[in-house]
Amino acid sequence: MKNLLRELKKQEEKLFNCVQCGFCLPVCPTYSRLGDEADSPRGRIHFMRAVVEGRIEPASETLNRHLDRCLGCRACESVCPSGVEYGRLLEGAREVTAGAVKPNLLTRLLPRVMASPSLLPPAMLLARALRATGFPRLVALRIPDEGFLGQVKLGMGMIAATARPEVLDGGWGRNVIKAETGSEDLVGAGVRVGILKGCVQDGLLGRVNRATARVLEANGYGLVEVGGQGCCGAIHAHTGGLGGARDLALKNIEAFEARELDLVAVNAAGCGAAMKDYSHLLADDSEYKDRAVNLAGRIRDVSELLSHPGILPGGALELSVTYDAPCHLLHAQRIAEEPISLLRSISGLELIPLPGHDECCGGAGIYGITHPELGGRISRDKVLSILETGAQVVATGNPGCMMQIGAGLEAEGANVDVVHPIELLDESYRRGGLYS
Amino acid sequence: MKALPPNLLEELAAAVGPDWVISDPDRLLVYESDAQTAHNVAPQAVVLPSDTDQASQVARVLHRHQIPLVPRGAGTGLSGGALATRGGVVVGTSRMNKILEVDPSNRRAVVQSGVLNTDLSDATAPHGLHYAPDPSSQAACTIGGNVAENSGGPHCLKYGVTSRYITGLRVVLPDGTTVWLGGQGREAPSFDLVGLFVGSEGCFGLATEVEVALTPLPEAVETLLAIFETLEDAGRAVTSIVSAGLLPAALEIVDRNTIKAVEASIFAAGYPTDAGAALVVEFDGVEAGLAEEAEKAEEFCKAAGAREVRRAESAEERLALWKGRKKAFGTMGRLAPDLLVQDATVPRTRLPEVLASIAEIADRYQLQVANVFHAGDGNLHPNIVFDRRDAEETRRVEAASKEIMGVCVDAGGTITGEHGVGADKQKYMHLVFSPGELEVLRRVKGVFDPDGRCNPGKVVPEDEAPSEAGPNERTEAKS
Repeated sequence: MKNLLRELKKQEEKLFNCVQCGFCLPVCPTYSRLGDEADSPRGRIHFMRAVVEGRIEPASETLNRHLDRCLGCRACESVCPSGVEYGRLLEGAREVTAGAVKPNLLTRLLPRVMASPSLLPPAMLLARALRATGFPRLVALRIPDEGFLGQVKLGMGMIAATARPEVLDGGWGRNVIKAETGSEDLVGAGVRVGILKGCVQDGLLGRVNRATARVLEANGYGLVEVGGQGCCGAIHAHTGGLGGARDLALKNIEAFEARELDLVAVNAAGCGAAMKDYSHLLADDSEYKDRAVNLAGRIRDVSELLSHPGILPGGALELSVTYDAPCHLLHAQRIAEEPISLLRSISGLELIPLPGHDECCGGAGIYGITHPELGGRISRDKVLSILETGAQVVATGNPGCMMQIGAGLEAEGANVDVVHPIELLDESYRRGGLYS
Repeated sequence: MKALPPNLLEELAAAVGPDWVISDPDRLLVYESDAQTAHNVAPQAVVLPSDTDQASQVARVLHRHQIPLVPRGAGTGLSGGALATRGGVVVGTSRMNKILEVDPSNRRAVVQSGVLNTDLSDATAPHGLHYAPDPSSQAACTIGGNVAENSGGPHCLKYGVTSRYITGLRVVLPDGTTVWLGGQGREAPSFDLVGLFVGSEGCFGLATEVEVALTPLPEAVETLLAIFETLEDAGRAVTSIVSAGLLPAALEIVDRNTIKAVEASIFAAGYPTDAGAALVVEFDGVEAGLAEEAEKAEEFCKAAGAREVRRAESAEERLALWKGRKKAFGTMGRLAPDLLVQDATVPRTRLPEVLASIAEIADRYQLQVANVFHAGDGNLHPNIVFDRRDAEETRRVEAASKEIMGVCVDAGGTITGEHGVGADKQKYMHLVFSPGELEVLRRVKGVFDPDGRCNPGKVVPEDEAPSEAGPNERTEAKS
């Protein structure tokens, strides 16, 4: 316990940066729905401070309930005038509480599967096989929302949501026709890029990785295959397993270092945010500290690489699209405009603003399963907001969000597809004849 | 403080539902302070009713058991007003957050008291209307809290403070009786009870519904930013702008320390960090003549020694500039962990000398003071940054704070412009009120709250003799 407390105490100066102004309260999805300040960022920081001051026990049921209830969306950081690093504080606090009270089985199991080279592939294979039967879609639509069945329904909906959307024609090829302008004029000419494959992304949304590769290559980026990479460790850090997160970070540092890359493209907002934070995660590791800073500095969300005015135009894509910002892109990485300008660059595409696009969809890892009622409310609000836009497609750049929103849409039986923004650019390239 | 009677929590749960009664001591910790962190006293319970009926039942239960009732909005207050310093139950309005009616043709709206200030303006903007009082915490603070504190804001220089916009109040009195004061946009034909209730700091009852007057959005806006070498020069510019008969919507000054904090934050507004002070001047209204007024103000600034005057060219530039000012309080966390936000008003003409005195006091106590203030109406916010873990420094802060308050009162000012007296300024009440006047205040409170159970220990000192105690000592001694 002493060691764990030291972890939180290291953050003491950051905790004390909070002047309790309360500006974070209205943007917090849990406070705005529950109205209890114990479920607000300021309240949670107050709890953490009380732990450091010895006024509340790390094992306190109350403390654990309210820290668990945090989605980790970090919307509070985007409005904090004092620059409190809430996400990092939460990770530290969760490590302390996880040391005092054992998290539930699913919360312990999931990070273990994600990190395991022997468990992850069969688990993903199973999920894909299940998806192919069409059973998850049926279950997601038919069974009740309540209780255990509700959790099954959400899980099945998330799997069903990863199926290829109808609006995309398909295309498995990797061949790219070089642009007529000549490759040296392309945005990515001479830039060596590796792609983070991710765990869930690779297992269930491989099409997003393939679209990313095609689009980057079309824009002249030199793609480098990076073997030996693995899960980024985000889910571990968020659930109090900073040790596990560090192990995964070391593995990724070695894998990406081995390939002399200029940049690393990440198409999962949660992974990008976690990898950009490797420098903090390994700040106390004398051997890896500088190497972590080096890799963190090369991480780019794919929308950052493709929001330049110079990117290749594709063919017309007559679709009405609304965009939902992943929290870990908007709030954690502070990337707001890039995905929107990427979508605006596609001719024919009508971009409809989504009210509440800056609020969490309720995905937040497995929040919908661990907090079915509250997660369900947050998720339903998002789905209703999407349906009100009347858009055919909702685009968002994170697998967790795609699956959560997709599951919500499946449950409504709504005919709205969920895609990654890069898939729409990819589709426009295909229609524009850029691929052979 | 007496322990809560055994049945109380069950009775409260029957009124609002068990989920909305909080009594677990760990969970109550988050309610031990508001945005003025010098006072820390956790309540014995928190209740979150969802409407007037529930709030009335809660008040009845508390009345039956003679337990103090302490209203609380979003906890963004700066005078410790929403704390149960004498024990009792906090009644929060966070779930009473519905806009009940928007009536654009009569320019009025009725809202539950937990509605956020900006949410009301956002909801009325499609009708070309807004709710004019704009405290800097407007994105987070509630209309009910604004009513309690009679809140001001940058634009109150031209538009006036909260009291000018409240036309009716549905109030749950401390015994649970529900009454309407004013309402339906009518001028009440007797005593102005709405005027009396606004600014009563939760000491008369709990406002659950508020009827407000809305104001048309201005046709045009001109915003200037003038950079000065010294704070005194900026103060002189303000005096000459107002003396010349110009009526800006806002006249706001931030000093060097504040500029440093703001520019280091995500709300950086492009203020030069080597400047002594920045003055924001805004004019709004009909488009004709607005640019001329802005030009005149620009000349006055230059005459007072401004080294540079910028004019916001776009709505984005204006927003960025205001964001830097409006979030200034929160950015102080970048200077030091704790902040004592002072709030006093002085006659505008005395601004330069009072500012000089404040700087002298800060130097003498070796403290860092960051000034942010509504210069147009002489409302000062000298913010003293410190670290409460340093007991010696905390004592210096309290002493300096008291001296600053004395300087303001001696200059013909008063002890609060907009943050309220709450638990924080009671000790200064005798500086501005005679014993006879304080007795009148006590009697007025007695009309609404004969048992003295509604937000007890706030605003009016209960003892006759002036107290010399500092903030922490006082609340601890009484709790």
